[in-house]
Amino acid sequence: MQESNEYRDVWVYCETSDGELTRPTIEIIAGARKIADRMGMQVAGILIGHALDKVAKEPIYYGADRVFVCDTPLLKSYQAIPYTYVLSEMVLRLRPWAFLFVANEVGRELGARVAYKTITGLAADCIDLLVEDFVMYTPQGTKVFKDCVAQVRPDFATRIAKIFTPKHRPQISNIRPGSFTPLPRDETRRGEIISWDAEIPPELFCVKVLEEKPLPQSNIKLEEAKAVVSLGLGVLRDGSGNPRNPAEAYRLASELSSTIMERTGIPTEIGASRALIYANIKELEGLVVKDRQVGQTGKTVSPDIYIAAGISGAIQHRVGMMRSKKIIAINTDPSAPIFQLAHYAVVGDLYEVMPKLIELIRRYQA
Amino acid sequence: MLIIALYKAVPSRTTKVVTVGGVLRREEMDLVMNPFDNKAVEASDYLKRAFGGKVVSVTMGPDFKLKTIAANLFDAPVEGIEESYILSDRRMAGADTWATAYTLGLGIKKVVKQHLEAVDELISMLEGRDGVEKFVERARELYEQNLLPNIVYSRLPTLKGKTVAERLAAGEISRAEALDVLRRARGEVERFIVVAGIKTSDGETGSTGPQVAEALSMELGTLVPSATYVRDLEADPEAGVVYVERKIGNMIQRLQLPLPCVVTISPEYRPRTPSLKTKKRAILYTYGKKIRESVVWNADQLMADPSKIGLIGSPTIVGPGIDIGTPPVQKIVDKTRVLSGKVEAFELNGKTYGPYEKLTRVVDIPEEAARYLEERGLVKTFGLEDLVEELFGGLIRIAREQRV
Repeated sequence: MQESNEYRDVWVYCETSDGELTRPTIEIIAGARKIADRMGMQVAGILIGHALDKVAKEPIYYGADRVFVCDTPLLKSYQAIPYTYVLSEMVLRLRPWAFLFVANEVGRELGARVAYKTITGLAADCIDLLVEDFVMYTPQGTKVFKDCVAQVRPDFATRIAKIFTPKHRPQISNIRPGSFTPLPRDETRRGEIISWDAEIPPELFCVKVLEEKPLPQSNIKLEEAKAVVSLGLGVLRDGSGNPRNPAEAYRLASELSSTIMERTGIPTEIGASRALIYANIKELEGLVVKDRQVGQTGKTVSPDIYIAAGISGAIQHRVGMMRSKKIIAINTDPSAPIFQLAHYAVVGDLYEVMPKLIELIRRYQA
Repeated sequence: MLIIALYKAVPSRTTKVVTVGGVLRREEMDLVMNPFDNKAVEASDYLKRAFGGKVVSVTMGPDFKLKTIAANLFDAPVEGIEESYILSDRRMAGADTWATAYTLGLGIKKVVKQHLEAVDELISMLEGRDGVEKFVERARELYEQNLLPNIVYSRLPTLKGKTVAERLAAGEISRAEALDVLRRARGEVERFIVVAGIKTSDGETGSTGPQVAEALSMELGTLVPSATYVRDLEADPEAGVVYVERKIGNMIQRLQLPLPCVVTISPEYRPRTPSLKTKKRAILYTYGKKIRESVVWNADQLMADPSKIGLIGSPTIVGPGIDIGTPPVQKIVDKTRVLSGKVEAFELNGKTYGPYEKLTRVVDIPEEAARYLEERGLVKTFGLEDLVEELFGGLIRIAREQRV
């Protein structure tokens, strides 16, 4: 336990795509910076793959102090076993204090395997990181673990909890995309690039990559939008309880969204609650698709403006949007939980409120 | 193939969630199978029908709660599972993903081991001096325990005269030839596959599958690869490999994994129809029975290191729950009283108030000053147009300036 003090620095597993850092990677560098600064530690980016020369400095431009680069043609394609091997070797030799991964297909698998192999804790799906003392109550009395990472994550789908890894290092977490705001890219930032030579036993390449093909890209960039107009199951009925055509609500949402974009120039997208997506409404087919889902099992967004229309605000939805800077809630039910976190509450029928809002934004005289 | 389907019991949507110090008290709640695990059972069922073997489910949790869930799995589509193992022990409670993976790893290892031991016993009988009659008798016993595939011993009428036991007894094959078949049957067990859901609906999101692979690597002393988010799954048991298609980042990857391995199945997975060609072979490697009674193993039976299971073996601890931020300064349209314009600093009864911005909430102004402003008609009800001004006004101004 005393050994914990020997562990230093916050690591970020950096993912690249087309020779650039992915956006979620840049976000978690900002998250790493936040807890490292609090601890007086450094942030190190970890890059594994091949032909990484060009991208190697990018973690530094986005806030890292050092970058460890393991560059070999053998590691060109992602493979869990050799990648786990390299990362575990690095962890055991260099002893980082915390190690962050992106909560996606790669980060979830790699972080999990590295955590098991290096016998330490893993907190999955974190939405924030803080530094706090952890107080453990035992029959023998209380025990305080100074300065741990409080890994904030939705828990049991009903509340938000802080996960602590008090006795083991590094504290490994994977972080949901959209949880941190990237630091501005700064080419004047200086840092150290250290190349890491890994001798990887050949038998570790037991999985053959037979084929890799790019997936058609969704053009819905919910996480990057600065304003989001989201719809929930409330679209099914109007204020008097009469059934409405949900396609009309979608049309209003897209009109509101394009009006905001036209007048303010900020990128705006349409989002939806899980309930609306899984209701499989015929009229919304192809419009309200999974890529638009905001919430625990969908995307985490933190736009400047979040408009929740007809969304009651179950905890699963709230964890996906609660860090939006300004939240407007439109709902007929004044007791809807969404109002607890709304900066602007509009108790009313979205079929009446949205057209008014569109009109007011359109006619606004600056 | 020995196919091990992992599943987890999670609180049902309607149950009251009971936690003590952040630890879920599963024994006190209504539990259902994690919905994502249905795909694991579906994929397991396909593998068995297409390539032979049997599907064995393994889970960890309070056995009296889990037995009812396991009971349903025997009748799951299309053929259901053959056997159920429940790892249940008070000392396993409160396990995080590390301790869970460790425990599941031990459970899987034990399942595999008892199947290997059965075949090994027969192999050593043939290698030794035991008579054929004794061999057949022992094979029958092990078959009754569901530890041998049809190719070694079977009661299926269609396989009459085709099993190792019968052909050896009839003098149709030599002991060496029989050994050859037994060794192949052994390989089908040794090269097992673990199939799991991609995540659970109650928390640990996607960590257990890869960690079980790591746990098995350590416990078996062999490399156990994993593939997550699998959308398509095919196998070649003779070659000891599986082929998967999975989503990773912006890519679809097709992988060939050596067995044993762990795969987690995406909700997009749809089972294929087994081909007639592989089905013919499959029947030989299928096991004859369903044993509908769940087998329960405790920590001692698993020979678990007590410092690696349950709450004690968990590196992570769930801290106190937190409030989702403090309620924001809220303005309710058509209700909240706000200042209708900017108010410069003013003096009232010897005190200085302000200045106040336009649309400041009256509740945020000292009572005396608020009354004074109200009397002067400087207070109004916050309207939708005010919301637009406050939220979009600045942005629209900036956008216009940039255009100019």
